Amino acid sequence: MNAGITRRQALLGIVGLGGTVATAVAAPAAAVEHPAHPEAPPDAVAMLYDNTICTGCKACMPACNDANGLPPDTSLSAGLWHMPLDLNAKTKNIIKLYQEPQGPGFAFVKRQCMHCLDPACVTACPFGALEKNRWGAVTWTGSRCIGCRYCEVACPFEVPKFEWDQWNPKIVKCEFCFDQRLKQNQQPACCAVCPTGAVIFGTRVDLLAKAKERIAVTPGKYFEDRVYGEHEAGGTQVLYLSSVPFDKIGLPKLGSTSLGYYATKVTSVIYKWLSGPILVAGLLGAVIKRNWDRHEAERPDREKETGLKDQL
Amino acid sequence: MNRWKKLTELLSVADLHNTTTGTHDEGGITLVNHWQRGVPVYREPVITRPLLFFAALAALGLGLALVRFLSPLGPFSGMNDAYAWGIWKTFNVMTLTALGSGALAVGVAAWVFNRQKLHVVMRTALVTGFLFYATGLLALGFDVGRAWNFWHVLLPWHWNTHSAMLEVAVCMPLYCAVFLAFENLPLLLERLYYTGGDATRATLRGAAPFLRGIYPFMITGAYVLPLMHQSSLGGLLLLGGDKIHPLWQSVLLPLLYLLAAGVAGLGFVTFLLLIACLRYARPLSLDVLGELGTVLSWVCFVFLAVRFGDLAWRRQLGAAFALDKMSVLFLFETALILVPAVVLRSRAARETPRTLLNMATLACLGGLAYRFIPTTIAFNPGRQASYFPNLPEVLMALGYIALAVVAFGLAVKYFAVLPAETAEWNYMFRRLRRGRPAAA
Repeated sequence: MNAGITRRQALLGIVGLGGTVATAVAAPAAAVEHPAHPEAPPDAVAMLYDNTICTGCKACMPACNDANGLPPDTSLSAGLWHMPLDLNAKTKNIIKLYQEPQGPGFAFVKRQCMHCLDPACVTACPFGALEKNRWGAVTWTGSRCIGCRYCEVACPFEVPKFEWDQWNPKIVKCEFCFDQRLKQNQQPACCAVCPTGAVIFGTRVDLLAKAKERIAVTPGKYFEDRVYGEHEAGGTQVLYLSSVPFDKIGLPKLGSTSLGYYATKVTSVIYKWLSGPILVAGLLGAVIKRNWDRHEAERPDREKETGLKDQL
Repeated sequence: MNRWKKLTELLSVADLHNTTTGTHDEGGITLVNHWQRGVPVYREPVITRPLLFFAALAALGLGLALVRFLSPLGPFSGMNDAYAWGIWKTFNVMTLTALGSGALAVGVAAWVFNRQKLHVVMRTALVTGFLFYATGLLALGFDVGRAWNFWHVLLPWHWNTHSAMLEVAVCMPLYCAVFLAFENLPLLLERLYYTGGDATRATLRGAAPFLRGIYPFMITGAYVLPLMHQSSLGGLLLLGGDKIHPLWQSVLLPLLYLLAAGVAGLGFVTFLLLIACLRYARPLSLDVLGELGTVLSWVCFVFLAVRFGDLAWRRQLGAAFALDKMSVLFLFETALILVPAVVLRSRAARETPRTLLNMATLACLGGLAYRFIPTTIAFNPGRQASYFPNLPEVLMALGYIALAVVAFGLAVKYFAVLPAETAEWNYMFRRLRRGRPAAA
């Protein structure tokens, strides 16, 4: 008799716990979705970088370090000046040069976070340290980060960097100068300092129109006559115009579907309201309970036969 | 070397005389089943030289892990920003917990599919499962850079429920600390019962109905949770996108990761039972081992069906047989699972300990290969970066494994883990009680 009551209590306990967890899970789950081709909200900010205008002066690099309080990376310059090879834990923004293997052609590229419309790093981040903030800036909150580095594995642009040489390591990536400047109604430091207008700041709608206008004015000037970032990985808030193929300047060839959509299209159905796990638990539980009851019914026989307590 | 020789000799004896199958009467009903209940290994010394070796290795690894906790991650691993996950995650957790999934696979076969014969090997599966999970979680704890922020796991409103990493972070510790621990509890309580005084026995007798009452619900949880996180470990790789070679990158990665856990888990329980029983001179029950072989063979076939169905659906079969580097890797990994799947269909093979051991080993390696390859060898971040674990990293990874080996070596001697005949249990008690007043 006793056992019956405890079983019922246990069942109620499990259902109750499941309900609590389901509610907790469902509330945030309803808030964000992952469409295959996300739409940019009208207030989404953007950068447009045009490498036919960039002179490679690199004024944006120290400006970025200044605004973000980053130390210069002097490992390759004998301690003299900021000279990183690529984006790293001291470099959120970099100008790189592409030189044709044969011939005089060259092109610059400015690399920083692309601020994807549906960022893979945000989908990856277990406790929401990385989030899509106001105006679409992708920002990092240290108190939520456990340092699992899943963002680095997920980002198709290889942007987030980890401080491997720090005891209290941070994830370092361009945050659109969110706290430093955007909130004060100022444009990001790199755009503000650019002397030629190679990188400009505005809303994504405006800059996309501006980019397409430049293409229309001089067809054939830009690679494939298109804007990189309009559709890549579901669309990004940094847009590129380039005179050379995008993959030559390190911008990867990507589909137009967001990675978040690809990674969650099955699980978002299975885990909706935790229905999948609850269903499986119910099915398995019913079968197990039946087999268990049979096993228990045979127990006295087994114990009598061996003269020993039954083992679980 | 000597030990290995001894093992092969034992295998030969087992093969030749085939003395280890149950004794059959004319009607074909087993009269003597060599595996009836778990019995501690009591004739062997507890502290042996191999145990000391593994203990030293574990101490070295854990010592390094403690130093690593007080120092940046950089000098302790070969990881970099392009290969941000090293062997602690990709091998100790994503790969080795597949070996520990015997607790799930054997449990589902025994309790859900009612393969009654397998109940007797559950304890071996549960102890190994607990040890692989516990050491895997230990590896994770020293791998993450900001472990002190992990308390967010307690606040569901801080969870990003879209993240496969969140699912793993919540589900895996919960499974190990609550459900696997509960399933292993009878081992401890049983020892307390038989070694304790009257008061202990009375308490335990009082607690037994409660434990048996919640048992079916707890094991239901113990199967649902690993179904979730073993698939989520594969789900982690979905966001890797194009970085992972198309022979592995697939929407079905979570399902295949789960099936590979079944393959490796069943294979490892079979492997471990054979090795441990030969090592401790226990008779083998080919009845039970054959049953494990049958289940293993079917799980291998299901894995292969899903794997090839997926490749065909994604039109990657051509790439799979292109015989380039990745294709050869794929064929190698597939062969490791195909061979045991086919061979174990044969009854004769299942009843030959040597063949069974070989096939179980192949299945383990195949399951591990499927889970390890997409995290490292077939993972290409598309930049001029490379990753190879450095010495402290390898020593720490080995240290976690050595810790599990030591714990298993002690567990089989103090607890009734490995299966034997009921007579063996009685004999053990006669020996233990000699010179002591008999307990009631």
